[in-house]
Amino acid sequence: MAAFHPLVASRVRLAAPLLPVAAPAAVVVAAAGPSFHQRRFSAIVAAATAPAATEFDFKAYMGERAVAVNGALDAAVPAGEPPATLHEAMRYALLAGGKRVRPALCLAACVVSGGREAWAMAPAAAVEMVHTMSLVHDDLPCMDDDDLRRGKPTCHVMFGEPIAVLAGDALLALAFQHMASVDSYPPDVDPAKHTARVVRAIGELARCIGSEGLVAGQVVDLEMTGSTEPVPLDRLEYIHLHKTAALLEASVVIGAIIGGGSEEQIERLRKYARSIGLLFQVVDDILDVTKSSEELGKTAGKDLASDKTTYPKLLGLEKSREFAEKLLSDAKEQLAYFEKEKAAPLLYLANYIAYRQN
Amino acid sequence: MALSSLFVSLPIPLPKLPSTSKSSRFLPIRASAAAAAPSFDLRRYWTSLISEVEGELDAAMPIRPPESIHNAMRHAVLPGAGKEGAAKRAPPVLCVAACELLGAPRAAALPTAAALEMLHGASLVHDDLPCFDAAPTRRGRPSTHAAYGTDMAVLAGDALFPLAYTHVISRTPSPDPVSHAVLLRVLAELARTVGSTGMAAGQFLDLAGASALGEAEVMQVLTKKFGEMAECSAACGAMLGGAGPDEEAALRRYGRAIGVLYELVDDMRSASGNGKMRSNASVLRALGMDRALGIVEELKAQAKTEADRFGDKYGDRVLPLYSFVDYAVERSFELQDSAAKP
Repeated sequence: MAAFHPLVASRVRLAAPLLPVAAPAAVVVAAAGPSFHQRRFSAIVAAATAPAATEFDFKAYMGERAVAVNGALDAAVPAGEPPATLHEAMRYALLAGGKRVRPALCLAACVVSGGREAWAMAPAAAVEMVHTMSLVHDDLPCMDDDDLRRGKPTCHVMFGEPIAVLAGDALLALAFQHMASVDSYPPDVDPAKHTARVVRAIGELARCIGSEGLVAGQVVDLEMTGSTEPVPLDRLEYIHLHKTAALLEASVVIGAIIGGGSEEQIERLRKYARSIGLLFQVVDDILDVTKSSEELGKTAGKDLASDKTTYPKLLGLEKSREFAEKLLSDAKEQLAYFEKEKAAPLLYLANYIAYRQN
Repeated sequence: MALSSLFVSLPIPLPKLPSTSKSSRFLPIRASAAAAAPSFDLRRYWTSLISEVEGELDAAMPIRPPESIHNAMRHAVLPGAGKEGAAKRAPPVLCVAACELLGAPRAAALPTAAALEMLHGASLVHDDLPCFDAAPTRRGRPSTHAAYGTDMAVLAGDALFPLAYTHVISRTPSPDPVSHAVLLRVLAELARTVGSTGMAAGQFLDLAGASALGEAEVMQVLTKKFGEMAECSAACGAMLGGAGPDEEAALRRYGRAIGVLYELVDDMRSASGNGKMRSNASVLRALGMDRALGIVEELKAQAKTEADRFGDKYGDRVLPLYSFVDYAVERSFELQDSAAKP
C-alpha cells in the first residue's frame, strides 16, 4: 500500500527540507552555551527564506535527546552493584534502544513552559523507566505473552519470569527514587519553588500510572480481550486514553510542572498529550494491519490474529486515518498558545507520532 | 551463577553484644520503664493505630471503575481477619511510634504509615505469584492471584506502588508541618526500600537460593526482605517527626534490628506462614536453633541500646520502642480481635 495515511502528503513537506545534521560553522559558534538549540534555531530562522516550521531539525533534536536520556538512564541503574543479575535485567530492558519519545516530550514540555531542559532530565528518565517497566510486565506469559520486543528477546525470555517481575518492580521504584532525589537535579533550579514542583510532579506521575491511569487501561484491555463481544468505540478509547495516553500525559505534564509552567500552560499541554496519546494508539493499530513484523520490530498482525478490537476493525482504515488527522489537529491547536520556536519540538513530536512507520 | 557475586557488601547487622557497662547503663531506664508500664499499654497503642491505619487504607482505595483492579488491591492490602488473624501492621506502628517519639503529631506520619502497608502489600502480591513462591493462600485466605488471576495480581501490585506515593503526597500535612524537602526524602526512602537494592534484592537473593546457604547469606536475605522495610518505617517516622541526623541514624539501626528480630522470632514460632513473606528455605535449618536464639538476644540488645539513646531526652515517649522489642520476642498478646475492621 502506497500511502499509509491521508496526511502522507504533509509528511513529505516535513521530511524534505530537513537541515543537514551538521550546522554551518558560524551557527555552531553562536550556539555554544546553555540555550544551544534555541539559539541555533533562531539563527537559522533569521537566515532562512523557507517557512519557519520546516527549519527545525527534528531528527537531530531527537538524536541528541536520545543520547542524553540514555546517558541518564545508564547512570541511574547501579550496574556494578549487587544483585548483579537483577541490575543486569533492569539494564537489559531499559537500555535496549527505542526512540525515547516520552523523555523527549518531558524535556520539550519543560522548555516550552519556561524551564531549562536540564531541570527535566531526571523526570524524563523516570517516565522511560516507568514505560519500560510496563513493557516488561506486559510481555509476561500471564499477560500478553510476547517473546520479542524491539527485535530482541523479551526480558522474561532472557532472565526468567520471576526476575522479569522483580526487574519491573525495581524499575518502577527507581523511577520514583530518581525523581525524588535532590542529587538528580542540576544546581541551577529555582531553590524557592523546585521542591514543591517535584512533589507535585511525582504525584502527577503516580496518578497517571496507577489504578486510574495506565493500569486501568491494562485492566479494561485484559477484560475485553477475554470477551467475544466486539469492544464498543468508547471502551476502546477508554483503553487507549489510559493504557497509552496516560503516560504521555504524565511525561508532558511533569515536564511542564518542573519547568514552572502556569496552570493554563499545564492544562493545555495536558490536552495536547491526551490527543497525541490517543493518536499514538490509532497509528499503532493502523501500522499493525499495514506493516510487516520486520518493519515494526515486533510481531505484526498480532491484533488480527488475537481477534483484538482495533480502530481499523471498528471504523475501517480510512475512517481511522481521518480520526488520526483530527487528533493531530487538536494537538496542534493547543500548541498555538505557546511561543512558536519553543513549541517546535512538541509540534514535530506530534507529527512524528502521526507519521511514524514503526 | 556464582552466588558470591550477588551479595551486597552491606554490614550484616549482627550487632556486637553490648558490653556489660552498656547493659547496666540501660537497666535503670528499663526499670523505670517497667515501673511506668501501667501508663503505657502497647496493646492499646497498637490496636488504636491499626484501626487508624486501616481507616486510611480503606479511604485510599474506594471501589471505583475499573472495579476488578480496586477489589484486587483491597484484597491485597485489607485482608481482614482471616483464620490466621488480621494483619499486625507492624511497619506503620513503627513509623508512627518513631514520629511520636520526637513529639510530632501522629497526623504527620499516618499517610506514610498507610503507604508502607501498600508497598508491603504490593511486594507480597508479587512474591506469592506462581512464578515465585506460588502461594495459594496468605493469612488463611486465597492469595491475590488465586482470587483474581495472575494477570490481575501483577497489575494490582503495579498499581499499589504508585498509590503509596500518591497517598503520601496528597495526605501528608505539607508544607506545614512537613516541608516539601522532607516529603521528598520520605518518597525517596520508600522507593529505595522496595527497589533493586532493598526488598527486590531480598526477593531476588531468596529466589537464587541464598537462604539455603550459611549464616551470612541467611541474615542478608532477612535483612533485605525484612530489616530494610522496618528501617524504612522507622526512618520515615524520624524524618516526618523532624529528627536530627543522629536521631535518624539511631532510629534506622533500631528499625533494622527490630525487623530482622521480628522475622526470626516468627520463623522460630512457626514452621509455616502466618502473614509474612516466608523465606524459601527455613532460616532455622541454616542457622540451627541455638545460633538463632543467640542472634535473637543480640538483636534484642542492639534494639534496646538504640532506644536507650532517647531515654534521657524524651522520657516516657520512648516506651513504645522498648515494648516493641519485648513484644517482638515474647509475643505476649494477640492483636487479631482488635483488627477485624474491614
